Amino acid sequence: MKDKLNNLRNKFLQELSEVKDINYLRSIELKYLSRKGELSEMLHELKDLGDDLRQEAGIMANRIKKELQEKFLEAEKLLNEDKVQATSSPDVTLPGEKSFHGHLNPITLVQNELEDLFTSLGFSVIDGPELESDYYNFTALNVPPSHPARDMQDTFYVDSKNKEGQFDLLMRTQTSSVQIRAMQKYGAPLKAVIPGRCFRNEATDARHEHTFYQVEGLVIDKDINFSNLKSFLEIVGQRLFGPNTKMRMRPKFFPFVEPGNNAEYTCFLCQGKGCRVCKYTGWLEIVGAGLVHPEVLRAGGIDPDVYSGLAFGFGLNRLAMLKYNINDVRLFNSNDLKFLEQF
Amino acid sequence: MYISLNWLKEYIKIPAKITPAKIAEELTSHTVEVEGFVNQAKQFENVVVGKVLEVKKHPNADRLRLVNVDIKTQKLDIVCGAPNIAVDQLVPVALVGAILPNGLEIKESVIRGEKSSGMICAEDELGLGKNHEGIMVLKSTAKIGELFSKYIKVDDVIFEIDNKSLSNRPDLLNHYGIARELSVIFDLPLKEYEKSAVKKSNFIDKADNELEVKIDDQESCLRYLAVRVGGIEVKESPDWLKSKLIAIGQRPINNIVDLTNYVMFDCGQPMHAFDGDKVPKIAVRKAKRDEIIETLDEKEKVLNESDLIITDGKKPIAIAGIMGGKNSEIDSGTNKLILESANFLASSIRKTSQKLGLRTEASVRFEKSLDINLAKIALDRFLNLLKELCPNLVIESSITDINQIAVEEKDIELNLNWLAKKIGQEINQDIVVKILTKLGFRIKSAENGLLVSVPSWRATKDINTREDLAEEVLRLYGYNNIEARLPVLMLNLPLPNQERLLERKIKQFLSIGENLNEAYNYSFVSDDQLNKLSIESSNHLRLANPLSDMYTILRQSLIPGLALNIKTNQAKEEKFGFFEIGNVFFNTPGNLVKDTSGDQFLPYQEKHLGLALIDADDSFGKLKSVINNLFLNIINHEAQIEYLVADSLPGWSDKQLSAKILVFGEEVGFIGLLDRITQKNINLKRSSALAEINFYKLAAIIFKTPLLTFKEIPKYPAVMRDLAFVVNNKILYNDLRNHILNFNPLLRSALLFDVYSGDKLASDQKSLAFRLTYRADDRTLLASEVDAIQSDLVKYLEDRFEAKLRDF
Repeated sequence: MKDKLNNLRNKFLQELSEVKDINYLRSIELKYLSRKGELSEMLHELKDLGDDLRQEAGIMANRIKKELQEKFLEAEKLLNEDKVQATSSPDVTLPGEKSFHGHLNPITLVQNELEDLFTSLGFSVIDGPELESDYYNFTALNVPPSHPARDMQDTFYVDSKNKEGQFDLLMRTQTSSVQIRAMQKYGAPLKAVIPGRCFRNEATDARHEHTFYQVEGLVIDKDINFSNLKSFLEIVGQRLFGPNTKMRMRPKFFPFVEPGNNAEYTCFLCQGKGCRVCKYTGWLEIVGAGLVHPEVLRAGGIDPDVYSGLAFGFGLNRLAMLKYNINDVRLFNSNDLKFLEQF
Repeated sequence: MYISLNWLKEYIKIPAKITPAKIAEELTSHTVEVEGFVNQAKQFENVVVGKVLEVKKHPNADRLRLVNVDIKTQKLDIVCGAPNIAVDQLVPVALVGAILPNGLEIKESVIRGEKSSGMICAEDELGLGKNHEGIMVLKSTAKIGELFSKYIKVDDVIFEIDNKSLSNRPDLLNHYGIARELSVIFDLPLKEYEKSAVKKSNFIDKADNELEVKIDDQESCLRYLAVRVGGIEVKESPDWLKSKLIAIGQRPINNIVDLTNYVMFDCGQPMHAFDGDKVPKIAVRKAKRDEIIETLDEKEKVLNESDLIITDGKKPIAIAGIMGGKNSEIDSGTNKLILESANFLASSIRKTSQKLGLRTEASVRFEKSLDINLAKIALDRFLNLLKELCPNLVIESSITDINQIAVEEKDIELNLNWLAKKIGQEINQDIVVKILTKLGFRIKSAENGLLVSVPSWRATKDINTREDLAEEVLRLYGYNNIEARLPVLMLNLPLPNQERLLERKIKQFLSIGENLNEAYNYSFVSDDQLNKLSIESSNHLRLANPLSDMYTILRQSLIPGLALNIKTNQAKEEKFGFFEIGNVFFNTPGNLVKDTSGDQFLPYQEKHLGLALIDADDSFGKLKSVINNLFLNIINHEAQIEYLVADSLPGWSDKQLSAKILVFGEEVGFIGLLDRITQKNINLKRSSALAEINFYKLAAIIFKTPLLTFKEIPKYPAVMRDLAFVVNNKILYNDLRNHILNFNPLLRSALLFDVYSGDKLASDQKSLAFRLTYRADDRTLLASEVDAIQSDLVKYLEDRFEAKLRDF
């Protein structure tokens, strides 16, 4: 037995001295020191010896076991400290395995951002039909039949005439068309944003698209005033373009608001100093807005003597073009992988 | 529209400290958008006055001369072709580097072998007229070497105003209107517009001097003033008139035409001059069907009953408010005129102008509803100026004035408390009154708020309500002078928009999780596109006025767009896919009302989710796994998803590799491989799998699917058994699986892990291998129990499907 133990010890130490890498070390551990390893087997055999032999062999076996465990730990430590000359040299600069993923349209990204901003302010997100009636897109929004916005050249009409022989179905030219539907359905007070696809019948080029995207905002309550409108637009600008963003307003005619205005923000690229993006003005024209025209409130079934409202609209194409420095509006609907892969 | 600073200065004195940049900025902040301004002198940079010292023949060209010119700093050799060049003339010399108003850039050059350092300019080359007969010879007051701009005294600044921002302001399409706004913005006095009537002495004294004017269509012709004048000499306009028009980009033609234009740009009233000898009388009526007129631009226009025209009692001589006719045009021999100053119904002018595609300075003004009073003011102004241009002027008829509408004064009450509430800030009554008064409003009473009378030039369309007045006050007070304050609002729970959130979840999963890209296809498709996909187009809605043949039909499916996306990208990638969430449109009534009458409905529209991908070996299978993963992710991981043989197939789909998609037993969409013919039709290199899912149906199922809740962790272990069944190819996985699952309550799941067909099986057979899981909730199952169930199952499937257990 003593010989067997000594042999085992020598074999173990011999093999341990040849250790070059962690796998070999593990195999030695498995072979000798594990629960079913050679040493355990040998200790197991001790029980079959006579009492006197067993005691002596037992002491020796425990000593050897302790020694081997110590030597093993020593070897493991050496290996860990890289003191053994490694045979393999892994290239740690190799990349991790890449998982491929697809890409969202940048309009979606900007739209999500705006929806999140407004829902955090307690706004609802409302949808409406893209194929709309002349009534909701124009008449109810205080756009009388002779208004130039109704010209055939601006609006896609659907080839279906009403009883009076007129085209009365169209592809909505603005998300404002959902204003009246929202008022009729939900009444006042109301705080909502309406994102969506709009259409204008105009030839496309790098700056014009017949299909584009807007987000409309609408707040109706008692005592909504121009000062409130201004404040909302300031907040939006600061959220979109940073806390130091300044805003300026100027008059702009939209039939469904009175007063009506444009809002410009300090150019986020040049901080108002003037650059190519802001055409060296320092300002970016971003939003059209105003106080909801009393006729529009009336059309939505809301009493303009009790309630007042504010409305504003963003062009998502423009926001996305500014944000990502995109130079051709047609790219959004191009479905070109080389474009989408950049977002 | 162009506005000249010098012209404005005739009506307001603008102090030097108010720079053009300031004017542009303030006009933009308070009135209309100024797109930019140009300092006129800049046009003539590098053009100086020179004196001709010597003129020699060009050795190699008969018509050219070699000229030596003194420009004070140096003497230049210039090759010149003008016949009128002579020694001692003072001439405009464009130096090397000059860019002339006509765009010509002057460079050092060699002409027929002789060097030329500059150019001696003709009038037209400087944008000052049509004359190209010879070089422009300057007056002796010109100083050698001085800037040409100084000599011709161009010191004007021209503002360009965005026409779109004028759409509701007919009163601003002229210099006086802009001057009025500036007088309010900068608080400057505004000179009153010249309104003196023509002196009686200019009329000839005759008894029968009525000019006959007949208005047939009183609805469309609101006012018509006309007068016959004689003693006219048609000639070039005087310098002051020409330079005014040139400054604002108008080409001078002759004194009469120029003067009508001048009055229009001055006060906003379009006028027209007919040749008095060609026109005996005036009659205004609607055109007859197919009546033809040749307009001044020498084009024939075919008219119809909706077009208002001016006739001489018989034939058309002008399209009212848009353009005159060739047959009554004035020419160099004209010595009598009939002058028209009228007001036409805006919508009528707009309609005809649209229809004929003829937009003129006149139509642009009329279609915005002009002040009815302006016609008379403009005619008086015109006649007074005409007397200056043609001293022999005699007014041969009395001025006929047919006025169809009585102008009513429009009064609006403006309560200042209401105004403060509307703005969110009080504005002092004195300021309000001052702004309105300077704009031309009249304060009739200031007790209990203001009673405000609207001036005629603002009353046509623009100002109707107190809100309109609020805007006037606010914009001139300054939007930027209002303090921004958020409203105090009641808290309300926002309306939930579950569909929107679901849409975002789907987009996120398909892009990040499934490597698909988001497509934004147009809502319009073409006949050709649908034909190639064998989609019947006759039941689709169409556009009445499409932009091009490619976008004529409203889509009923996202498939055509996605198929195109695969095609246009196939050269760039091997394996890729798209998804789109978008609306489709059907030719049946939907559930949204058209208007408040409530009995008419918009066409039915719904939202679809479309998917398309192309994969090296198995596009169909790959797309199915995308759909599976999506549903398990957005519904829950126990969602029951099935693909069943479809009852009807779209024309583009492979007859075998196509299926309807069911979720919890409800059909939500369709998946199919593009068949070979379609693939060829649309030039696809490899076959693509396409799927379309009804978003609303899917959403409805998701919203009613109860949340998965916690179940006790099983106390007793499960027993797994792998079994492979060999069945005829016609036997469907879905059927086999359902029968296995329903066979015994202890059989908890049957997961397909392998499908095989090939050499080891008969050609009409396939093997489906399942991992079956057995488990009881109240005990550890014995192997013998499982064996018993399993042998019954094998027997059952053999009876039901002729399924044989496969030996490995």
